[in-house]
Amino acid sequence: MSIQQQTLANGLTIIGEPKSSAQSMAAGFFVRTGSRDESPEVSGVSHFLEHMMFKGTARRSPEDVNREFDEMGAHYNAFTSEENTVYYGAVLPEFQQRLLDLLSDMMRPSLRDEDFDLEKKVILEEIALYQDRPQFTAVDLARHLHYDETPLGFSVLGTVRTVGGLERNQMRDYFNRRYVPGNMTLALTGRYDWDAAVAQVSAACGSWGNSPAGREHPALQPRTRTHIVTDRRLNRAHLAFAAPGLSAQDPRHRAADVLAEILGGPRGSRLYWALIEPGLADIAQLFHDEGDGSGWFGAYISCDPADAEEVRSRFLKVLEEASREGIRPDEVSRVTRKTAAGHVIGGETPMGRLTSVGFDWVYRGLVESVDEEADALLAVSAADCTAILEERPFNNLTTVVLGPIRASFEPVPVENGSTSNGEAGGEGFSEPDAGGR
Amino acid sequence: MANTVIRTHRLKNGLSLVSEAIPEARAAAFQIMTPAGALTEPAQTAGSSSVLENLCYRGAGSRDAREISDTLDELGIQRGGGADLETTTFAGALLADDLDEALAIYADIVLRPTLPPDQLEGARQLALQRLESIKDNPTQQLFIELFRIYFPGPHGRSPLGSRQGIEAITVESLRSDHHRRYVPGGSIISVAGRFDWDRLIETTERLFGDWEGQASQPPAPDTSNREHYQHIHEDSAQEQIGLAWPEVTADHSDFYASRIAIQVLSGGMGARLFTEVREKRGLVYSVAAFPRTVRGAGLVLVYAGTTPERRQECLDVLLEELRRLPDGVTEDELARARAGLLSSQVMQGESCSARAAAIARDQFTLGRIRPLDEVRAGIEQVTTGSVQEHLQRFPPTDFTIVTLGPEPVEVKQE
Repeated sequence: MSIQQQTLANGLTIIGEPKSSAQSMAAGFFVRTGSRDESPEVSGVSHFLEHMMFKGTARRSPEDVNREFDEMGAHYNAFTSEENTVYYGAVLPEFQQRLLDLLSDMMRPSLRDEDFDLEKKVILEEIALYQDRPQFTAVDLARHLHYDETPLGFSVLGTVRTVGGLERNQMRDYFNRRYVPGNMTLALTGRYDWDAAVAQVSAACGSWGNSPAGREHPALQPRTRTHIVTDRRLNRAHLAFAAPGLSAQDPRHRAADVLAEILGGPRGSRLYWALIEPGLADIAQLFHDEGDGSGWFGAYISCDPADAEEVRSRFLKVLEEASREGIRPDEVSRVTRKTAAGHVIGGETPMGRLTSVGFDWVYRGLVESVDEEADALLAVSAADCTAILEERPFNNLTTVVLGPIRASFEPVPVENGSTSNGEAGGEGFSEPDAGGR
Repeated sequence: MANTVIRTHRLKNGLSLVSEAIPEARAAAFQIMTPAGALTEPAQTAGSSSVLENLCYRGAGSRDAREISDTLDELGIQRGGGADLETTTFAGALLADDLDEALAIYADIVLRPTLPPDQLEGARQLALQRLESIKDNPTQQLFIELFRIYFPGPHGRSPLGSRQGIEAITVESLRSDHHRRYVPGGSIISVAGRFDWDRLIETTERLFGDWEGQASQPPAPDTSNREHYQHIHEDSAQEQIGLAWPEVTADHSDFYASRIAIQVLSGGMGARLFTEVREKRGLVYSVAAFPRTVRGAGLVLVYAGTTPERRQECLDVLLEELRRLPDGVTEDELARARAGLLSSQVMQGESCSARAAAIARDQFTLGRIRPLDEVRAGIEQVTTGSVQEHLQRFPPTDFTIVTLGPEPVEVKQE
């Protein structure tokens, strides 16, 4: 199961991880662009554009795009994050040619006015949807504050104001700069015909003109701050935290993932025993999100407003103990075994492999097989995890508390109305990966 | 997919072992399904199915909570399951070589939980926390309420229970509940992926052969006297709209025609609801119809979320689409719906966890497993004529509707 790779003269890379025993294939365009590549006045354009890519091309109407995916019985969608936009489909192998024709055609969209105006309403509905999900609001606000006004902290969805005011030519400009072949990768997994795919994609995409897309890497000044957003309409306290993490290119990125799972995986982690087992919180998780040139640790806790202060201090105690005493080998061995098995099980399906393969290439310029990934995980040691803690990432902690809570941490009676004590309001903040199209 | 082999075995105590061997798989996935859902829990301790399931992991056999958790992690088990309306499921997926060892631990968890008194308070508080969290999750709240008014009887219960019920739970009530409802008669163990069938029978007989008891007959679903509209006031950014109507069950001769009809409504981005409600009018981000089956009743659920000022238009467009469905579907729509269902079958066949869940569910609702060939044939035999006949016999009508948001809607039933 070796990796196939070819880069066209214009910079578009095609990579593939074949699996001859698979019953299906998956394909996806990975575009190295997201909210961090936007300017503040067009906040949300990456995600809005992702929707518009389904709205037809020179040879397809919007209805044609949807209909053709459905005719193949495809499982398909797209998503936008802070730094990647991905369009994908999984089909039976007999539809390879049709799927690649559709996906590559979609990458050169019409962006028509009437579709733009109509789709804007859908985006505004999506923003409203996430306003009703306080867990996403809290985590996204923590990430925003952690990145301290740099583009790395921009919202994926944008706000009612920025999306509402966006014009089609601004989107076209953004598209022209970012959707250049050197900034795009086509990944294939499962049972596919490599030679046919390369020939077809070369013919379809080989004429796209290239130019440097680039990306800013703003300097980050780690800070510690606490931000309380009083929202009396909410029933729960939603606590979110952010701290400096590791980049995807850092050779220690896997140890950071293991460390996060030990501290705050959904089951059997230190946070689990400190908060879930005694019934103090119904969710208490810590994760590591590796990014291009930088990364962050995030955490989210849901608890009773009356317990928010106690819960926060127990959370901090877990981090302090870990920083002081380090990580034990038995913890590492459990988490690496569980995670390695999870990779094998998740990698059973071509669709399950597609994002691993695509992001491996986008971030690291290589693709690890499931077995190589498992071996690398099992090689992570307790010393590797402790070494990350010795840099004291959690000394620079951003804390967000959202709920019926006063700045003094006292719960307030639940009623209507929302106030904020700090510099950043709640408008338009959304989850890191803002859903499908 | 064509090469999978389905085998079943029934133990003397009534436990069903069902399996699907998937060649090339490196993993095995399993489900232990007991008929101990919210449906059959004592009314005065509503929520006890969830609390009991949670407590089973907090001490079993000779292991305490931490030893159970650590052992499952050491085996690399991806844990799943939980208490639902009709069943409580203990599920996992792992590398195939460790299956026997995993099943031995789960036999302790399901058959021999110690129900430690010092763990009850934590489990109870966790259940109460989950109950409170629903109020900050409008979509989940909407569907709990929709089920509650669609099924006025015990089928309308939420597996999360009630505050009063959770507070009334004692170790004694759980012990008696475990004795009464965690029984082999009516329970199912399913395994999918790579395993040795003879050894699996031997392991199951050894671990579960001495288990005793028979589940009592659950009440039949009852939708007579159901309410037709309920509004829940919330100052939310979106109005949530939920809708349900009766549909046939998996043992009905119209079953595949019904699934094609739902697929025409909501099978992809080119399907009717997405096209009419979102693509043409931009009324929603999210709109979908999906089937749900309980033993003895089928229904279709529809979800849409829109900003409050457009709630009435959104509902009206939804209802218009549902009411025109019996006019028939086109050949093109049928072809797309068929392609979608068939490729979903193939892709599900690539995942051990998905197959372990599907065969357990088949065994539970139908008492047998539909081989993939049978499902494929069923889907292929549907014609535009048989879809229309089905929709004439069982038209989408007599809706139960719930809205959650700032303002109610006006509901005009036919």
